[in-house]
Amino acid sequence: MLVTLTPKREESSPSSPPRSQRGHEFWRYGGVVPYLAFMALFLLIPAFSVLIGAFESNDGALTFSNLRIALSGPYLQSFVTSFELSVGSTVIAVVVGFVSALAVAATRGRPRALVQSSSSVLANTGGVPLAFAFIATIGNFGVVTKILSGMGLNIYAHGFSLYSVVGLIIVYQYFLIPVMILVMLGPIQNLRPAWVEAARTLGASKLRFWWSVGLPILSPALLSGTVVLFADAFAAYATAEALTSGTLPLVPIQIGSLISGNVAAGEANLGNALGLGMIVVVALAATVYVLSQRRASRWLR
Amino acid sequence: MTSPTDGLYLRQAGIGRGFRTLVLGAVGAFFLIPILASARYSVLGNHHHLTLSAYRSLFEDPNFRSSLELSLQVAIATVLLTGLLVIPTSIWVSVRIPKLRALLDVLSIVPLGVPSVVVVLGILGAYHGILNLILTSPFILAPIYVVLALPYSYRTFDTAVRSLDINTLVEAAQSLGASWSRTLVGVLLPNLRAGMIGALILAGAYALGEFVVASLLSFNTFPVYIVQIGLTAAAEAVAVSLVALLVAFVPLSLVAIVGGGRTKRRGVLATG
Repeated sequence: MLVTLTPKREESSPSSPPRSQRGHEFWRYGGVVPYLAFMALFLLIPAFSVLIGAFESNDGALTFSNLRIALSGPYLQSFVTSFELSVGSTVIAVVVGFVSALAVAATRGRPRALVQSSSSVLANTGGVPLAFAFIATIGNFGVVTKILSGMGLNIYAHGFSLYSVVGLIIVYQYFLIPVMILVMLGPIQNLRPAWVEAARTLGASKLRFWWSVGLPILSPALLSGTVVLFADAFAAYATAEALTSGTLPLVPIQIGSLISGNVAAGEANLGNALGLGMIVVVALAATVYVLSQRRASRWLR
Repeated sequence: MTSPTDGLYLRQAGIGRGFRTLVLGAVGAFFLIPILASARYSVLGNHHHLTLSAYRSLFEDPNFRSSLELSLQVAIATVLLTGLLVIPTSIWVSVRIPKLRALLDVLSIVPLGVPSVVVVLGILGAYHGILNLILTSPFILAPIYVVLALPYSYRTFDTAVRSLDINTLVEAAQSLGASWSRTLVGVLLPNLRAGMIGALILAGAYALGEFVVASLLSFNTFPVYIVQIGLTAAAEAVAVSLVALLVAFVPLSLVAIVGGGRTKRRGVLATG
């Protein structure tokens, strides 16, 4: 943020430290060291260890065989299953979340504040309790399952199972839809009333307004929402583990069972290769998110 | 904040009453039904009569108490560490080293890019030789949670810092002769109270709800306990999940209310 380097910068820049504190560069930067050390110890070094381990054979030599195993057979299938789950749950949550955000933004007053605060609670809920709430609802003996079969519709006889990809897609909506609502509310409220008026004055139908004006303006926000939801669904572990006891082969669950000691001989670094795969997928998603955020800000002023 | 014309342009653009009722009704039902179903299931289970036995047997289970206590201890440690580490650093950087702010911003969202299962993998891989001793104490979870909760805690607090003209405050305090600690305690923290409380609650809530790391490092925290009893006693697991979901609403909605006015710019983040 410091643009010019005039000699008087120290005196005039509002961000320069007060006179009495100057010159203690060591202490100044020293203040960040504990924080950075924490980040390094508990995030960066572990991530680096995964990265290195992915390319290491059991005796420490460079190898690509871990990655080859991770991208073949049952492990490749786990990436495919994780993708199906993430894409499926993202598509539904993006549409439902967007439509809900429109409905919420068009409502005035109290309901909107209520939806906003409960969305931010639900977006942070998830995890284990959610799994059991759905077991009680549409599990084998769930309340809704029983009600439906009382009405003559046995959903489990028709191929539905809560403990499958389809089941997880439903459960994930519980924390993904609120995230989407939160992502979209701001951009929707930033649509200028004048744009609606201008479009209507020029004879556009309501549908035409959304197609030609509304959606294009909201598209960066929609894209960034999509990416956030995808990464969220892809990395989620607790709900799936609690629901399926690790029987559904998702990438994070495969890594989990490798950690828990179900390691075949010679596969010690396979977990690292799978972990690297997850980092790459999530990092790609994060890059798209950052780029779309930049585009999104273009329309605001 | 709200006026009669609020959202009027959207209503003019076709988001009519019927549409709103339909959407909000359907989505609202989706979010309420699991809560209601859990409540019913927890008192009926697979029996056909009303019973509170699920709740009673929970309180008689010694593991219920011990896992809850462990989770609370780890959460308190996480909150304390967040308060000692994240909050002072954020203030320090914005006052003294603004150049580093961009770096810390980026670092604070890195945990979102490294799924927690991968963090566990890396910690075990990087430290398995040296840290076998430390990895036996459940308090190792606290620093891991501090880092994993950064996307929520740091960013919440940072939003509060940014909404404040912090340099003017510091210069004003110091030109009046206040020491650094005096400036911090007397000027900055009172102004940043909402952001601070929000950040600490989010860090604590993360620690209370976290399952992946605790389970893989074999610590019997509360969420790990829920999954364990779920294997044998479904009604008990549902009962305790329902209580956990409802209890989570209290502190988290406090964050939403306290931080609500200021968080417009905050990136939205979530956990799974």
